[in-house]
Amino acid sequence: MELDVRGEICPYPMLKAVEAMKKLKGTDTVILFTDHAPCLSTIPPQAGRYGYTFQVEEIGQADWAITLKPKEATI
Amino acid sequence: MQLTHETRKGPSALLRRIPRQSLVAGLVLLGALGLATTMATTEAILAPLWLLAMAAGFTLQRSRFCFASAFRDLFLFGSGQVMKGIIVGLAVSTIGFAIIMYSKVPSPGFEIFPSEAHILPVGLSTIVGGLFFGFGMVLAGGCVSGSLYRMAEGYVASWVTMGGILIGLALLSQTWNWWWEATISQEARLWIPSTFNLGYGGAVLLTLAALLTVFLIVLWWEARSGLFNPDIQVEKEPDDTFQQKLLILWRSIFVRGWPAVVGGGVLGVIGILMYMVHMPLGVTGELARFSNTIMSSLHLPPPEALGLSALGGCSALLGATGLFTHSFAVTVGVIAGSLVGALFANEFKLRFPRSAKRYVQALVGGVIMGYGSGLAIGCTIGAMFSSIPSLSVSGWVFGLSLSGGAFLGVKVIKRLA
Repeated sequence: MELDVRGEICPYPMLKAVEAMKKLKGTDTVILFTDHAPCLSTIPPQAGRYGYTFQVEEIGQADWAITLKPKEATI
Repeated sequence: MQLTHETRKGPSALLRRIPRQSLVAGLVLLGALGLATTMATTEAILAPLWLLAMAAGFTLQRSRFCFASAFRDLFLFGSGQVMKGIIVGLAVSTIGFAIIMYSKVPSPGFEIFPSEAHILPVGLSTIVGGLFFGFGMVLAGGCVSGSLYRMAEGYVASWVTMGGILIGLALLSQTWNWWWEATISQEARLWIPSTFNLGYGGAVLLTLAALLTVFLIVLWWEARSGLFNPDIQVEKEPDDTFQQKLLILWRSIFVRGWPAVVGGGVLGVIGILMYMVHMPLGVTGELARFSNTIMSSLHLPPPEALGLSALGGCSALLGATGLFTHSFAVTVGVIAGSLVGALFANEFKLRFPRSAKRYVQALVGGVIMGYGSGLAIGCTIGAMFSSIPSLSVSGWVFGLSLSGGAFLGVKVIKRLA
């Protein structure tokens, strides 16, 4: 699923990412679009906690796509 | 972590790709230095205060040192990253502050406090102020200093929060005398070296032991919530030539975020330097002054605040007049330094929340937080980050109350997602 949290204030980018990972329980990849730089360092530990790997891609100026993939997935 | 970097394209391509924001950052920096010399003609110490405040703002921005998230994320995500940074900063500051205070008052006796130390009254006002502040900062998504640096990063919600803070401070000024009569006038300013007869050595040891205890509790809390740092796959950057090494150095200071522990340590040192120059870091004094000025121009001047001027901390400069005051240099300096940090990192961007709910949240959180900061005579910086190292009991009571307020705030913001 894709999750666009651009413009959101703290802590909603992270809260929404965590909720998505909790809800999906590893059944789907989450792609999070964010302009909130702190996410780059705060989301990785949460991804590990819910069994996801993560990858950050800078897609524009202060604009990132964070891909959260379930660890044992074949997607 | 995959980050785009242009190093592989060679130096000429790199030069062409210098982000425009870095150039603006350079200009802001030059302007700020120019302003420092102008300020120095008003009063010599304004220049170092301004520059140190800029360094503090730069550090806050680079390490995203958000006191609101430090408290909130403990409850929300079980993460203590920023809280550990705060503890490190407090430990560093405590030692430096003790030496400075010793040079001012060598033998601590009753009612003789080192000048400018943030030793504030302890009592109901501290607890209520902390609860309000903790709740408000979580609702708004940033504390006072956090809102200052986010304003500079282009977060429009933080500008709204700042408006709320000014309103909250104005409401407090109108009701200060009630609080003074009801509780603050009877509250004592408890200073660990004299009140508990511990002297500087004992007070520093007690403070450091308490900080260590909190640090261990945070570690335990993180372990309990199952949080761990995964192996982060960082794409290795080429670092063979001198040029590449310089680039990596540049990026780790100006582009990548600093770990919170580094930010805390640097802020601790900046706090010491500011106290050496004149006074510890604090940002609400200027905001309170600004709020009072606005109210006066609206023909709603706040009543003469009973007892406030004698209390020190962020209240000490309320009576100052003119544009370039100590508190102006410090508060506006934080914004200027954050702006430089955001621009060098190419992170400045106007960010508008998409739902109206967030604007309301930012404003209401700001008002509650502003009121709390007025009541506690300082924010997370003035009443805690500068107060605990002043070996004052108030900083601890305020910090504990903040946790309580933040806990309640977390309950509310979860429902507002």
